[in-house]
Amino acid sequence: MGKTDRITERQLSVLIFVSLLSPMIRVLPTAAVLFAGRAAWLSPVAALAAGALFLAYTRWTRKNAPEDMGLADMALAGMGPVVGRIFNILCALWLTFYGGFLARAAAERLLATVYPNGNTPVFVVITLAVAVLAGSGLTKTLSRTAEVLMPILVGVIAVVLLSAIPEVTSENLLPVTYRDTREILYGALPIFNVITACVYFLFLTGHTRRPVSQRPNRFPWLVLLALTAFGVTFFTLGTLGENLAASMENAFFMVIRNIKVFGVVERVEAVVVAIWIVTDFIFLAAVLMIVSEIWRTVTGIKKRSFFVFPTAALSGTAAFLIAGNAFEFQKWSDLIVPAINLFFAVILIPGAMTLGKLRRRY
Amino acid sequence: MKKYLCLILALIPLLSLSGCAGLSIFSNYRQLENIELVRAVSLDLSDGGVNAAIYGTAGEESPARMYENPGPSVGVALGELILTPLGREAILSHTESVLIGQDLAKTGLRECLDYVERFSETRLDTDILIVRDGSARDLLAGLSGDETSSADVLSGLGKNISRLGEGYFFTCREIASSLAENGCALIQCVRGVKEEKLFDARGELDLESAGFAVARDGVVTDFLSDEETLGAMLLLGKYRSGNLDLPLGDQTVTVSMDLVGTDIAPRFDRDGALTALDITFDFRANVINLSGPVEITDSSVRRTCEEELTKIMTGAATAAVEKSRALGTDFLDLEGAVERRAPIKFRDMGADWQDVFLTLPVRIKGTSVLARTYDIADPPELSGKEDKSPWEKLTELLKDS
Amino acid sequence: MIRKKQPAPPDMSSDGAVTVAAVEAVFDGCYDFESRDLRIGGDQAQTARLCFIDGLVSGSDVAEQVIKPLTDPRRFSGNISAADVIAMLLGGSVYVYTAKSRDKLGELTGDLLNGFCALIFDKERTAVTFEVKSQQRRSVEAPKEEKVIKGAKDAFVETMKINTTLVRRKVRNAHLKIKEFNLGMRADTAATLIYIDGFTNEGIVAEAARRLSGIKTEGVLTSAVIEENIVDNYRSPFPQVISTERSDKFCMNLLEGRVGILVDGLPLGFLVPGTFSQFMKVPEDHSGHFIVASALTLLRYLAVFLTLLAPAFYVAVAMYHQEMIPTRLMQSMIEARSSVPFPTAVEVILMLLAFELLQEAGIRLPSPIGETVSIIGALIVGQSAVEASVVSPVVVVVIALAGIAGYTMPNQDMGSALRLCRFLMVLAAIALGMFGVATASAILVYHLAGLESYGVPYMSPFAGSEGRHLSRALFRRSMTVKRDREPELKTGDGGEAKL
Repeated sequence: MGKTDRITERQLSVLIFVSLLSPMIRVLPTAAVLFAGRAAWLSPVAALAAGALFLAYTRWTRKNAPEDMGLADMALAGMGPVVGRIFNILCALWLTFYGGFLARAAAERLLATVYPNGNTPVFVVITLAVAVLAGSGLTKTLSRTAEVLMPILVGVIAVVLLSAIPEVTSENLLPVTYRDTREILYGALPIFNVITACVYFLFLTGHTRRPVSQRPNRFPWLVLLALTAFGVTFFTLGTLGENLAASMENAFFMVIRNIKVFGVVERVEAVVVAIWIVTDFIFLAAVLMIVSEIWRTVTGIKKRSFFVFPTAALSGTAAFLIAGNAFEFQKWSDLIVPAINLFFAVILIPGAMTLGKLRRRY
Repeated sequence: MKKYLCLILALIPLLSLSGCAGLSIFSNYRQLENIELVRAVSLDLSDGGVNAAIYGTAGEESPARMYENPGPSVGVALGELILTPLGREAILSHTESVLIGQDLAKTGLRECLDYVERFSETRLDTDILIVRDGSARDLLAGLSGDETSSADVLSGLGKNISRLGEGYFFTCREIASSLAENGCALIQCVRGVKEEKLFDARGELDLESAGFAVARDGVVTDFLSDEETLGAMLLLGKYRSGNLDLPLGDQTVTVSMDLVGTDIAPRFDRDGALTALDITFDFRANVINLSGPVEITDSSVRRTCEEELTKIMTGAATAAVEKSRALGTDFLDLEGAVERRAPIKFRDMGADWQDVFLTLPVRIKGTSVLARTYDIADPPELSGKEDKSPWEKLTELLKDS
Repeated sequence: MIRKKQPAPPDMSSDGAVTVAAVEAVFDGCYDFESRDLRIGGDQAQTARLCFIDGLVSGSDVAEQVIKPLTDPRRFSGNISAADVIAMLLGGSVYVYTAKSRDKLGELTGDLLNGFCALIFDKERTAVTFEVKSQQRRSVEAPKEEKVIKGAKDAFVETMKINTTLVRRKVRNAHLKIKEFNLGMRADTAATLIYIDGFTNEGIVAEAARRLSGIKTEGVLTSAVIEENIVDNYRSPFPQVISTERSDKFCMNLLEGRVGILVDGLPLGFLVPGTFSQFMKVPEDHSGHFIVASALTLLRYLAVFLTLLAPAFYVAVAMYHQEMIPTRLMQSMIEARSSVPFPTAVEVILMLLAFELLQEAGIRLPSPIGETVSIIGALIVGQSAVEASVVSPVVVVVIALAGIAGYTMPNQDMGSALRLCRFLMVLAAIALGMFGVATASAILVYHLAGLESYGVPYMSPFAGSEGRHLSRALFRRSMTVKRDREPELKTGDGGEAKL
């Protein structure tokens, strides 16, 4: 592993945060509202707690792993060369598909919101091309890109949400009682599902430097992500109401369609949707990087960038084949992909890490 | 590899510019000078479908134009209008109001709302208005004159009636949300009236508020009177200011509403059954005009005025509740109010709200306060009495307090 | 036929022996090369050859400080040997403060070219060189490009010695090291590497020295020769070396832990590592009030966004996202556009090109004419273009706004790079609207994030510095507050110091 391509744990956190903003906006608030109804705005709090526990567990499992050991290496060490390789290949295949899904989701969002007369392939190809450019570079460059973009993204969403305050009505948000706890927890499930995608980034931990003073189990990025999820759900639900929000595919972008910023611009959805594509670029580039990292470990070929373009080509193919139309894609987006993600991120990967830990391989 | 990648990245935008292979997003491109800016839309029922009309302008100096087109549905009728006869492309992104003819509203609003919600250009905060006693198209045409635009007149009316407490322009988002949550919604109605022109450049028609329409399951079922509209605004929290004339013997005291506080308190018995609904208002108003000699600083006179104010307002609220029950439609969202006030008891109530609501005793009470008279307290020329000495005024004040 | 034996040609390699013939062969055809025999102490038997390059040395100094004491019989009397003469010369028998013994031709020619005169003892194959540089040089003047109201008024000049003196006067520290390098294969140019020993990161010093000594060029006559050879990524249009004409700014950066480079013949100081945030700072930041300085720094960052994105944003909105324009503005824009024959894309590109042309013309022409051209361009051409409906007024406003914002860049190289990117942004906006602007911006940020200068991330402290020092880039803290050093520079004092 190149000693020059090192990032800090904090940089990895920022990379995860920026990457997960993309699926977060796709899922929220519709999925949370479908489960939790009017109380969905509290679901991010529950998701934060569950996410923190999940992250604490994954951190514990890799506590004693050497600094330059990524998840792919850990799998080989923990499960042996054969099973470890199978595990790695499975993860690589899933993430290749997931990359295609991300590219397609970004394209569908652009079509549904700003470019109604556009075509999916243009957006998919451009998104993949940018991701290949970033994915074939260094991990630290991608992390730094995320670092530069994070304040812009957070700033934009903060301005947008603050501008939406006059539209929010308490009738759409209240009442919420302790009896809604179950619904709130159900609503937390899709958010938790998004958060769990952070385990894929463990494949990049071979590039991280351990901090000198490690403060265990503190995840500021998770708090910020939960805060963003809370803001998006709160303002969208408060503006549209439970039923209307649940019936929309891009409820958040419908809300920002009405936002005027200081009378200078009337509608900001074009800007927000365009800026949000940056999170797709980052996540997709990270996914390509992760998959290449896995193939590098599996095959022993040192040059990681060798795998980026073929992975992107496969992801692109998946993006075009995944669904013939937006209705089918919605099915994938709502059900199939979250279910597979849950299997990989919550069962398979933590399971593999636990196995290695129990066998005292790291 | 990066070189090739950069080359590909550079070529992709050019590919999209060329428009070849149907990959272009250039089809979203519109030249500014070819745009017809639509600010108001009217939809009327026509033979076998919908007659859509748009009120567009091509710039500050250009005269506003109206284009209309019948079609089997809202989508088709408006879709065909997007390329106007002049070859300009109409864009609906700046549409402020959608006027719907009464007849079309009675057959169904869903399609209109759906179009506004679904079409990427239109905004959810577009005002939806129902035109009574005439077609929406005629109103749109009648409002515009050489120097007045119908969109400006509509927007002006929206602000005025809200300030005067005569109505409230509900947006598409509010109506759609209310229909989705309660199954019913209120919609502002307007009416065109022929009045003497204040100036020549004005349109043929003037616009006035015509109360609220009640939509249930996407269809307008009834209309509210002015009193019921006032009551509905009070109960929905949409009444923020307005002027009221209070009769006081031969004279009239005009007050401006300053503050309205509403408290909706459900009463449950020990078994958890909802027994009554207590609605309490707190009104605060300021005197802005006296029609003749009224001794407004006299506490008994003020008390009479306050009682009159309470009577008018609570009467309006009662009328609105009664109308709501008569229609069997909880357009006042009393269910939501009860649920917010006592969420657990409401859920434990067991009975269907619709059944409870129809027979539920609703007790409406109110208190009013006249807060100030804007400097001119009790001028002698109006009261007809001699000016009092400061001592007399102080004694009176102490007596009052 | 008896062939006459020809004398062997002199060895002219740099390691060749120092002989009169060899030196004269080296400078053969140089009309400014002067040489004459000199009798030491007036003794006919003991002669030496005095050589110098006219113009580089001061004639009066040569006569007074070298010839006069050399020919004085009281000083060099009797049958004194050449070896003794050399020893006496090096021991201080002439009045020149620098005397060097040279036995290699390369060293001798180097000295001659650097304002020394040489006394060649042919038989001993040795020369003694004396520094008698001509004082014909530009005196220290106030900075012309980087002006400040409250600040030092001594800018660097073309003479490196003066520049090192300016630095020494400001940083009176024995640990301030000035290492000399000779650059250029044909035009031998002296350069110095300046740093504070024990404080400046040794890695950066070593890397700067390595890159400086590795420069392969004919001669260092322009700043680009230095800059492009010592940066990490020479393909990037963004500046990675801080160049300044201000000696105080140069010293301030030395005190922050940077490495300075001075080159003879260039009135500029170069500093590495150069990061993006450094190019947003101006000397006034350290002379004005810290709150005002912070506000102005923020304004400059806003200017970066404006100059880069304003035209692209306008193109995207006008071509694809008209819904963003408020109704009244939209009406007036439609009105203004309706009389313009060109599409928005062409109109904006034309205006951008016109703007660049005017700027280029203004710079190239002598200053009074240049200013006139700028005024004609801005007022007459702009106004006429609008009146003739060649462009719409909004486009003029947008392009002018972007241009003015670009002028606020403290570093002209940064301004030029942003101008170049502005064109690319506009092209992306024309092709893909706001999506294109976002994509191009993401690629630009990725490019900047990938840059490093001597191991320091170019975008630090925005990226790659653990985020703790973000405020340092955006605000200037009061001088009374103990301030953090830039952690990326890894200075020897552990990162904490008070200026």
